[in-house]
Amino acid sequence: MFGERAAELVRGLHRAADGHLPAFNEDGIRQVLEEMKALYEQNQSDVNEAKSGRSDLIRTIKFRHCSLLRNRRCVVAYLYDRLLRIRALRWEYGSVLPNDLRFHMSAEETEWFNQYKKSLATYMRSLGGEEGLDLTQDMKPPKSLYIEVRCLKDHGEFEIDDGTTILLKKNSQHFLPRWKCEQLIRQGVLEHVLS
Amino acid sequence: MSEAYFPVGPGLGPEENFLSLEDILMSQEKLPGRVEAALPRLAAVLGKGAGAGQSDGIPEGAKVELPLWLAKGLYDNKRRILSVELPKIYKEGWRTVFSADANVVDLHKMGPYYYGFGSQLLNFDNPENPEIAQTILQTFIGRFRRIMDSSQNAYNEDTSALVARLDELERALFRAGQKGLNDFQCWEKGQASQITASSLVQNYRKRKFTDMDG
Amino acid sequence: MFLSDFRREFYEVIVTQRVLLLIASDVDALCACKILQALFQCDHVQYTLVPVSGWQELETAFLEHKDQFQYFVLINCGANIDLLEILQPEEDTFFFICDTHRPINVVNVYNESQIKLLVKQDDDLEIPAYDDIFRDEEEDEDDSGNESDGSEPSGKRKRFEEDIMERTMKRRQRREWEARRREILFDYEQYEYHGTSSAMVMFDLAWIMSKDLNDMLWWAIVGLTDQWVQDKITQMKYVTDIGTLQRHVSRHNHRNEDEENSLSIDCMRIAFEYDLRLALYQHWSLFESLCNTCYTSASLKLWSVQGQKRLQEFFAEMGLPLKQVKQKFNSMDISLKENLQEMIEESASKFGMKNLRVQTFSIHFGFKNKFLASDIVYATASLMENIEKDEPGTDNFIKALDSLSRSNLDKLHQGLELAKKQLRAIQQTVASCICTNLVISQGPFLYCYLMEGTPDVKLFSKPVSLCLLSKYLLKSFVCSTKNKRCKLLPLIVAAPMAVEQGTVIMVGIPPETESSDKKNFFGRAFEKAAERTNSRTLHNHFDMSIIELKMEDRSKFLDALISLLS
Repeated sequence: MFGERAAELVRGLHRAADGHLPAFNEDGIRQVLEEMKALYEQNQSDVNEAKSGRSDLIRTIKFRHCSLLRNRRCVVAYLYDRLLRIRALRWEYGSVLPNDLRFHMSAEETEWFNQYKKSLATYMRSLGGEEGLDLTQDMKPPKSLYIEVRCLKDHGEFEIDDGTTILLKKNSQHFLPRWKCEQLIRQGVLEHVLS
Repeated sequence: MSEAYFPVGPGLGPEENFLSLEDILMSQEKLPGRVEAALPRLAAVLGKGAGAGQSDGIPEGAKVELPLWLAKGLYDNKRRILSVELPKIYKEGWRTVFSADANVVDLHKMGPYYYGFGSQLLNFDNPENPEIAQTILQTFIGRFRRIMDSSQNAYNEDTSALVARLDELERALFRAGQKGLNDFQCWEKGQASQITASSLVQNYRKRKFTDMDG
Repeated sequence: MFLSDFRREFYEVIVTQRVLLLIASDVDALCACKILQALFQCDHVQYTLVPVSGWQELETAFLEHKDQFQYFVLINCGANIDLLEILQPEEDTFFFICDTHRPINVVNVYNESQIKLLVKQDDDLEIPAYDDIFRDEEEDEDDSGNESDGSEPSGKRKRFEEDIMERTMKRRQRREWEARRREILFDYEQYEYHGTSSAMVMFDLAWIMSKDLNDMLWWAIVGLTDQWVQDKITQMKYVTDIGTLQRHVSRHNHRNEDEENSLSIDCMRIAFEYDLRLALYQHWSLFESLCNTCYTSASLKLWSVQGQKRLQEFFAEMGLPLKQVKQKFNSMDISLKENLQEMIEESASKFGMKNLRVQTFSIHFGFKNKFLASDIVYATASLMENIEKDEPGTDNFIKALDSLSRSNLDKLHQGLELAKKQLRAIQQTVASCICTNLVISQGPFLYCYLMEGTPDVKLFSKPVSLCLLSKYLLKSFVCSTKNKRCKLLPLIVAAPMAVEQGTVIMVGIPPETESSDKKNFFGRAFEKAAERTNSRTLHNHFDMSIIELKMEDRSKFLDALISLLS
C-alpha cells in the first residue's frame, strides 16, 4: 500500500510526546520522496497510454494521484509540526540550544530557527521604548524581586551585573534577583525554591 | 506538558485539518469496501496479485480494505470506482450495544479514533448516516460524565486504568481535565509562582541520563 | 572581637552587601540558617549558602569563593580555631561567626578588625585577659639589639653589668610570663563545651529588629532542643533557655486564649508542653517509644530478660493492655490517652524514673499536624545523616534543610521514619554491647569498638549518630554496671568509617553524672596522643572530640591516650 512510509514518518513524530524534538528523519523523508517520484513517473507514462485509448487506466491514475497527495500531506504536516516544536524551544529553552538538540535539526530547520530568533528579537526591541521588552521573561507573574534558587549541577562561574560573579556548585543555594536566574531555571541548572 | 508547543489539533465534524498529525493517523485506519470497476496494474499494491507484477489489476467486485484517505479520494456518489461498507462497530448490531450502555465499551480497542473516524464516515452517503451520527453523539454524551468526573478526581495517582478504555478524543479531554486539576492544586499550594524548568528541558535531561546509562 | 549590638554591627553592615553563608552540619545550625535566610529574604540581601561538614570543606569553600565575597557568615563553625591562620584571607575580608563551640580561640577574641563574634556575653566565657597571653614584640627586639653589640668601651662597664642584670631579669620575667601563659591557655582550652544555641541568637537578632515571626520562634525552639537531645548543654542552661523562649511563645501565641480573637484552628501555633520525653511517641507506638528511648531503656535495663519483665509490669501497673500499647499511638483508645502523661509519670517514679517529663514545646498546623520539638530534631538529624542511598553529603543537607519548612511535610515524615530506624538500631547496638561486655575499662576511660559486620554499623560512621550511640551506651552502661569507679569514667567509642580506606571514626564523651557540666577534654587529649604516636589522624570535625584514624594506628593511639590520662 502506498503511503505507509509517510504514515510511519508521522507516527514517529507523534510518538514524541510533550513537544520533544526527535532527530530529523532524513531517511524517512527520502523514502517518501522516492515513492512519490515513482508514482509520478508511473502516472506520467499511464497518462500517455490513457490518451491513446486505454481509458480504464484513468482510475489507476486517480489511485496513484490520491497516494501522491497523501504523501505530500504527510511530509508537509511532519515538517510543520517540527517547526512548531522548534519555535517552542525558543520560548522554553532560550536562544542558545544545547548541542544534542541542535544535532536533531536539519540545516534548513536551523536556518529557520535563526531567522525566527531574529524576528522575535527585532520585535521585542521595537516595544517598550529604548530598551525593548523581553517577552520571554516572567512567564509566570512574579511575586518578588528576589528569589531563592538551588543549584542542581555544577555550572561554574556565573556573572551577574557589575562584574561580580557567583560560583554555581551543586547543592549551593543562592538568593538572587529574579530576572538574573530565570533563564538558568528554565534550562534546568537552577531550581526555584519556595520557602 | 510543554507550554509553548501548540500542535494543530484534529478537525471537528466531516472536515479534517490538513496539518493535524492526529487526523493523519486517524485517516490511516482502514475500512472495508468493494471495487466497482477494475483497477489495472494495482494488484501488487493491494496484495491481490499472483506475483506477476503490475500487469495484473484488481478485478471488479473484489473486496478490499483501504485506508480512509484512499477511500475518501476514490469515492464519489455515483460509486464509479469504489463503494464502501461500514466497519462493524458503526453497524446496527454494535449501535444497539452503544445505545444500551455506552460506558462499558472499550473504545480504545475498537479502533482508537471512534469519534473522528465515525465523523468521517458521514462523507460516504450511506442511508444509515443519520443513525450513525446519532449513535456517535449519544455515545459521547453517555460517556462524557464519567470522563469528566474521573479526570477531576484522580490527583497524583496512576490513571492508566481510567484511560485504558477511552478513545483518543476522550483521552485528550481527560488530559485537559487533569491539567486543570493539577494547575489548581498547584495554585492552592502556593506553587503557581514557582518558575519551573520547562518539561522539554526535564525530558531532555532524563533522556540524556538514560543515554549515558545505556 | 565580640559584637555588642548585633543589629548595628552585624546586620546593618551586611544588609547592603552580598554574603556567603557557611553552615555546619547540625540541626542547630540549620535552624539558625533558616532564621537568617528568612531575614535576608525580607530585606533582599543577596546571599549564597554553602554547607560544610568539616574544616577541610570550610577551607575549600572559602578558597572557591574568596574572590567573589567580602563578607562571610559562619554558623556553628569557626570559633574554636585560629581562623585567620587557617584561611589566610585578604585584609578586607570580614567573618561573622555565630558558633556554639567553646572555648573560643583567643586570636578570634582579640582580633579587632576581621573576626566578629556573634556570641552572647552572658555565656560564661572566662576569656583570659589580653596581657596574659599577648605581648608586644618590641621589647624582645630591644633585648636582642643590646646583646649583639658586645664591644663596648670599658668606660661603661658598670652600666654594662647593670644591663646584664636587667636583661637577665627581663629574660626570667619573660620565661615566667610564657610559663604562666601556657598554663592559662591550657586551662582555658582544656575543656570543650557549648554555648547558647545559634538559632536562639539569630532569633534574638530578629526580635531586636522586630522582624521575628512564629516560624522563626519555632526554629529557635528546635535549635535549643537539638542541644538538649545531643546532651550538649547542662540541664540548668536548658531550663533557663526554655524560660526565655517561653516568654516569646506567649507573646506570639496568646491569641488562642482569647475567645473572641482566636485564630482558626488550623493556623500555626506553638504551645508550651510539659510532656513525656519518650522519643517520637506520638508518631509511633507507646511500646516502641519506651523501648527505644535511652532514658527508659537504660533505667529499666531493657537489654536483659529482667528488664523486659519490668517493662510489662510497668504497663500493667498503669492498666494499659499490651495490645493497646503496641498500636500506633493515634489509634490507642482515647480513654487510655486521657491523663496519660500524669499516669506514666507516677508509675515511672515507682520504677526509678523520676524525670520522665520534660519542659518543651509543640507545634500545631493544619488539622492533624502536631509535632514536639524533639520529633523535629530526630527527623532532621536522621535526614542529614541518611545512609540509605549513596548520595553526597550535601544532598542530605539540602533535604534536611527543606524538611524544616512547614510546606515540606513529606520530607519531615520521611525523616521521622528514618529516625525510628535509627533509634531502633542504636538500641539494639547498645543492648548487644552491654550483653556481650564490649564496653571495657582501660583505666582512665571506658572503651568500646564496634567491629565491621556489626548490624547497622554503617549508620554509625556518621558523627552525630555515633555521638548519640555513645551517650546512650554510656547511660546504659552506668545503669548496668556494679563497679562504682567505672560509673564515673568517660567513654570513647570507635566504629569503622570507610572500609576501603581503612579508617575508623572515634568519639569521646564526658562521664555521665547527675550534675555534669558537659565539659569534654578529649579534644586536646586526642591531639596530644596523635602527636606523640605519629598516628595518621584527621581532626576534620568542628567538634574536636571527634576524629578519624587509620585502623592500624588504633592500638598505639589508645595506649598513648591511656598514659596521657592516667
